[in-house]
Amino acid sequence: MILRWWLSTSALLSSLTIVLVLGFLLQSSWPLIQQQGIAFIVGDEWYPFESLYGMLPALVGTVWAVVLALLIALPCGVAAAIFCAELLPAQLRGPMRFSMELMAGVPSVVYGLLGMWVLLPLLESQLDLLTGRTLLAAGLLLALMILPTIMVLSEDAIRAVRQSQREAAKSLGIGWDATLWRVLLPQAWPGIRVATLLATGRAMGETVAVMLVVGSIDRIPDPFYNFLQPAQTLTSRIGREMAEASIGSLHWAALLFCGLLLAAIAMGLSLLTQRKGAAA
Amino acid sequence: MAVNITHKVFAQEESATSLKPSQNQPSAVLTVKKLALNLAGKEVLQQVDFSLSPTGVTTVIGPSGAGKSSLLRCLNGLENRWSGAVKIDGRDIRQWPGGWDQLRRHMGLIAQKPVVFNTSIRTNICFGLLGWRQRRRADELVKTSLQQAALWDEVRDRLDTPATTLSVGQQQRLCIARAIAIKPKILLLDEPTASLDPRSKQLIEQSMLQLAQEIPLICVTHDLEQAQRLKGQVIFMCDGQVIEQAASHQFFNQPQQIETREFLRWNVCDCD
Amino acid sequence: MSRFSQQYRDTFNWYTPGKVLVVVLALPALLIPTMVLCYIFWQAAPVLDWGFLFGTADGIGFGMTEGIFSQLVGSLLLATMACLIATPFALGTALYYRTFATPWQQRLLSAMFNMLQGIPPIVFGLCGLVVLVNLFAWGVSLLSGAVVLAVVVLPLLVLNTLTTLERIPKEYSEAGSALGLTQGAIILRLWLPRSWLQLLTGLLLAMARALSETAPIMFTATVFSGVVWPDSIFSPVTTLQTHIFYLAQEGNDPLLTSIAWGSAAVLVLLVAFFALLARLLQKSGGH
Repeated sequence: MILRWWLSTSALLSSLTIVLVLGFLLQSSWPLIQQQGIAFIVGDEWYPFESLYGMLPALVGTVWAVVLALLIALPCGVAAAIFCAELLPAQLRGPMRFSMELMAGVPSVVYGLLGMWVLLPLLESQLDLLTGRTLLAAGLLLALMILPTIMVLSEDAIRAVRQSQREAAKSLGIGWDATLWRVLLPQAWPGIRVATLLATGRAMGETVAVMLVVGSIDRIPDPFYNFLQPAQTLTSRIGREMAEASIGSLHWAALLFCGLLLAAIAMGLSLLTQRKGAAA
Repeated sequence: MAVNITHKVFAQEESATSLKPSQNQPSAVLTVKKLALNLAGKEVLQQVDFSLSPTGVTTVIGPSGAGKSSLLRCLNGLENRWSGAVKIDGRDIRQWPGGWDQLRRHMGLIAQKPVVFNTSIRTNICFGLLGWRQRRRADELVKTSLQQAALWDEVRDRLDTPATTLSVGQQQRLCIARAIAIKPKILLLDEPTASLDPRSKQLIEQSMLQLAQEIPLICVTHDLEQAQRLKGQVIFMCDGQVIEQAASHQFFNQPQQIETREFLRWNVCDCD
Repeated sequence: MSRFSQQYRDTFNWYTPGKVLVVVLALPALLIPTMVLCYIFWQAAPVLDWGFLFGTADGIGFGMTEGIFSQLVGSLLLATMACLIATPFALGTALYYRTFATPWQQRLLSAMFNMLQGIPPIVFGLCGLVVLVNLFAWGVSLLSGAVVLAVVVLPLLVLNTLTTLERIPKEYSEAGSALGLTQGAIILRLWLPRSWLQLLTGLLLAMARALSETAPIMFTATVFSGVVWPDSIFSPVTTLQTHIFYLAQEGNDPLLTSIAWGSAAVLVLLVAFFALLARLLQKSGGH
C-alpha cells in the first residue's frame, strides 16, 4: 500500500513537473501577451525601456548560431565517427570513445572561459574585427560543444550497421568509398539524424558559453547573413537581463516568454526525435 | 594429390575493370597451393591444396569447424591474413591489379544467410555496378540476372518494392542474382540453402547447375545429398585440412580415405 | 608480422579519396578537443596545488581568493542535494512505469521524460526563480538551486533507471511471482539487488551532469562573493561553475586569470572523476 502510494505519487509529481514548468512560464508571461497581443514575437525591436519586446533579433540570432554550429560540427563529427568506427585499429577505439564521452561532459562554463579568453582574441586578430564577440564566435564555440555528442551517437549508429552488410558490399567488389556512401551512411542515417536533433537542442539551449561570446546586442544581422556582427540569442538575453528586470514588470514577463519559446522549440525538437526514432 | 595446373595466357586487356559478358571470355581456372590460415593462434586452415576445372560445381563438405567457410573467405579476400598461393589463370590474387576490391568482382560470394540491402529489389541487383550511369541502364541486366537466379517470375512486377519484403528463400536468390550481375568468373557459395524451404532449395540448386555450365562454382554444404545432386567434384575437409578430393560419384561410391568412410557412414570425423 | 601491424596495413593499404576526406574532416574533430583539454591544464598548472584546492577566501575582495575550497564544497553540496532530491522520485517513477502503469500511461510518461530532457536547463532556472525564489520566498538559496538541479537531472535518472529495469529478464520476476512474492517484495528482493550497481552508475552520471550545469543555478542558488559557508539550506552558496563564470568577465588581472583556469581545471577533473567512477562501476558489473 505504502509502496503503491510512493510510486504513484512520484510518477504523478515528476510528470507534473513539465506541466507546472510550462504553466508557470505562461502565467508569468501572461501580462505581456495581454497587453501587446502575440505580434511581438515577430517584432524586430527589443527596447525594454520603451516597452518594445520584439523577439525576432534573438530568434534569428539563435537560429544562426545553431546553424553555424551544425554546419561546422556535423561534417567533422560524422567524419570523426566514421574514422573511429571504420578506420581506427580496434585497440584504440575504447580509449578514443571514452575521451569523447569525457569531452561531452566538460561543463559549458569552461567552454565559455575558453571562448572568452582564447577564441575572442584569436578572432579579433585573425579576422581584423573590432570585437570578436560575434555570431561566428558563438557558432564555433557551440560547434566545439556539440561535436562530442554528434560523434558518440553517430559512431553508435555506424557500429550498429551489421558486419554482414559490410561484407556483402565488400564481396560485390565495392570499394571502401562506395560502401561508405551506399551502405553505411544510408543505414546509419536515422541515428545520425537523431544525433543532429539532440545536438540542435543542446546548442539552442546552451546559455553561459554563448552569452559570454555572442555580444548581446539586440540587432538582426545586417545583411542577414553577416555572422561577423554581434548579436543576441534567446538564452543569452535571459542570462544577461534576468538580473536587471524587476519582478512582475513587463520586461520580466518578456524574458519569461523567451524561456517559454525555448521550451516550446525544444519540445518540438524532441517530438521530432521520437517520431523519427520510432519510424526508424 | 593431382594438382592440375592449367597454364593459360592471361590477357592484359581483359583486366579487372571489364564488365563485358563472361560468355565469350575463357573461364577462369583457380589453383590453391599450401593455403594456411592462423587466427588467434588457432590453425583454421593448413596446407590446403586443390584446383578447379574451368566449369562445374565443386562442393566442399566436412564437419562444422572444418574451415570450410574460412576457405571461401580466404579466396574472396574477406580474410586476408593467410599464407600460401592462390592463383586465378596463373595470376597470384595477392598481386591482382586493382587490389582486393577488383578481385572480389571476379569472385562472387554468397553468404549463408542472405544479406540484402535495405533498398528496392532493382537497386539491390545493381548494387555491384560501379557508376550511376550503368546502374540506370541496367534493366536488361536485372532481368537476365534474376532469370538466372530463378527469381524473375516472382518479382517481375515489383522490382521497386523493398527487398526486405521478400521471403528468406527469395532473398537468397536475390543475393545470387546480385552476385551474377557483375559477371564473376568464379562463384563461391557458403551453405546457400541451409535454413531454406525445400522449394527455394530446389530452385537454387537448379540455377547453380545452370551457372556451372559457364563458370566454376564452389559450394560449401553440410548436406551430403545436395553434394550428390550437384555432381561435379567433392572436396572433403576436416580440421582445416583437405582429406580427400574426387569426382562426386567416385567420392560417394568408393571413398579412398578411412576418415571419409567414417564421415559418410556416421557423420563423424576424427582426423587427428 | 604482428597482428596489429597486419591489421593496420590492411586498413590503410589504399588511400581512397573517401578515406582521405574522412581523415581530413575528422582531424579537427579529434585534435581540437584534445588541444582544448591540454590548454586548460597548461594554463591551470601554475596555481594547481593543495593550497589552491583547500584554501578559502576571506569573503572580501572581488574573487581575489587564494583558494576555491568553499566553491568546491558549494558545487558538491548542490549536486549532492539535487541527486538526493531527485532519486526517490526518479526511482518511484521508473518503478511505477514498470509495475502499475497502463500502456497508455507508459507512452505518456516516456514521451514526457524525453521532452523534459530536451528542455534547456535555463528554462528550469527561470522557473525556479519565479516559483521557488519569489513565490515560495525561499530566496536565492541552496534549497532553490538544489530543487532546480534535481529537475534538470530527473529525466536522466528516470531514463537510466528504466533501461536498467528493462534489462531484468521477465522470467526473473515471474519466478518471483510464482513463489508468491508481493510486488513490493519482488522490487526489494529481486530487482534492486540485481540492478543497484547500474542504478548507482546512473546516479554518478547525474552527479556529473549536475556539477556541469551553470545556467539553472545562476539565478537561484549562487552569489559571487560575500558568502564563504552557507549557514542553512536557505542561504546562498558560491559554486565553482558560477565562480568561473564571473571571473571570465573580469578582465585581465593575471591572478584572476590563473584562478579562473585553475577552477576550470578542477571542475573538469571533478566531472571526469564522476564519469570515470561510473564507467568503472559499469565495467565491474561484469556485462
